[in-house]
Amino acid sequence: MGFYLLTYLLTLANDTDVDYGRGPWIRKLRMDLSEDVIEGLHLAGDSVHIPDQSFLLLLRIVSESIVDRRPADPHLSAKKEFGSVDRGTLKQVYAALGALLLEAAKLDKDVAAVSQVLEDCKFSQERIKQLIAVYQQHKQPLRSVLSKIGSNLPHVVDVDWRLDYYIKNNNLEKVSRPVFLIDLKTRVNASEETETVQIACTQDQLQDLVGKLRDACKGLERVAQL
Amino acid sequence: MLLILGDEHKQHLEYLCSVSLDVVQEFCRLSVEFLMKGTNAKIYNSAAQKLGVEAIIIQKAIEGLMHLFLESSKLLLIESDFQDSVKAAGFSDELQSELLRCYLENQADIRRIQLDISMGLSHYRDLEWRLDVKLASRSLRHQVEPVVTMKLHVKDSGKEETRLLQTDPVNLVHMTRTLEEALQELNSAHCRRICRNF
Repeated sequence: MGFYLLTYLLTLANDTDVDYGRGPWIRKLRMDLSEDVIEGLHLAGDSVHIPDQSFLLLLRIVSESIVDRRPADPHLSAKKEFGSVDRGTLKQVYAALGALLLEAAKLDKDVAAVSQVLEDCKFSQERIKQLIAVYQQHKQPLRSVLSKIGSNLPHVVDVDWRLDYYIKNNNLEKVSRPVFLIDLKTRVNASEETETVQIACTQDQLQDLVGKLRDACKGLERVAQL
Repeated sequence: MLLILGDEHKQHLEYLCSVSLDVVQEFCRLSVEFLMKGTNAKIYNSAAQKLGVEAIIIQKAIEGLMHLFLESSKLLLIESDFQDSVKAAGFSDELQSELLRCYLENQADIRRIQLDISMGLSHYRDLEWRLDVKLASRSLRHQVEPVVTMKLHVKDSGKEETRLLQTDPVNLVHMTRTLEEALQELNSAHCRRICRNF
């Protein structure tokens, strides 16, 4: 569920209204936040809709649930801190705060750019400070979560090996040679499951493989020294 | 070790005693070719027409030769053993030396084929690698993430496959070290003792 929350928030953030003639403040933002998100941010900054205590708690809940990839708590509005907040508003503010944090982390925006957006949405200085503090604290974890989204080739994470001595088979007596069975454990697309690629090698073949891997390591070292 | 030829087998090969040496040479060549590339029924028919006998006799003779070579390779018969086995079947000296010549010439190839058809596992053939740096994706900009992409070529009972994999520098070094350990293990006292005794 946490994963779907992320993708939902990202699509929200990118869902721009193409009519750029609509108010100079959308162009100023330079972060491509959609109208819904901007509206939500206005609500978030407004202490009439979101009292101070609720704002702080909400900030913390939003950032932690994205970073920990936890599903959103469906009974959030039942918490006593959100008693005075209208449920529809709470939902929109939750999404808007999440979209802002993610979009800023995605584009590697600095504190000044984020502050600018918040000022344009009529946040008080106090709330700007609080949000910036949460942003700075969670920026790296947010970027780490975002980097795992996307398609990748199967990613090798571990190697198992086994050495057998091949004595004979039904077609041949006296095969008599060592055989290595190599298991490459791969992870696809940041999921927890691993798949295994199994290959067999004779001694020469394994020496060839290890030689090529050593070349790759040396190539890496040379690049790292540049 | 002697290879005992069954009676039916000997019967099939008897035809070779009644033809000239050239024909025997041709049959030997054909049997080896069929082992490498598979049989061709048209050859049986054309040979039958030329020699004036039924195609089935030619087929049995050539298949008998194929079986003889296969069994001898399987048991890894040395020269003297092969000669003794063939002598016990009652072939003439000329025929014996011709069969021996053919066997020795092609033994390595025949064993290679037998090994190929025995392999139930994907065997490593080649590894190509390439170093990339991931700069950005749709979900994250301003990245600097090194990625090693690899193309692994494997061969499984004649079919060749390639698999695309990737890894990061840390796992690459880990992979290299682990596989080097595996190679080292072959030189340990334990493994060398076992390998020697077989």
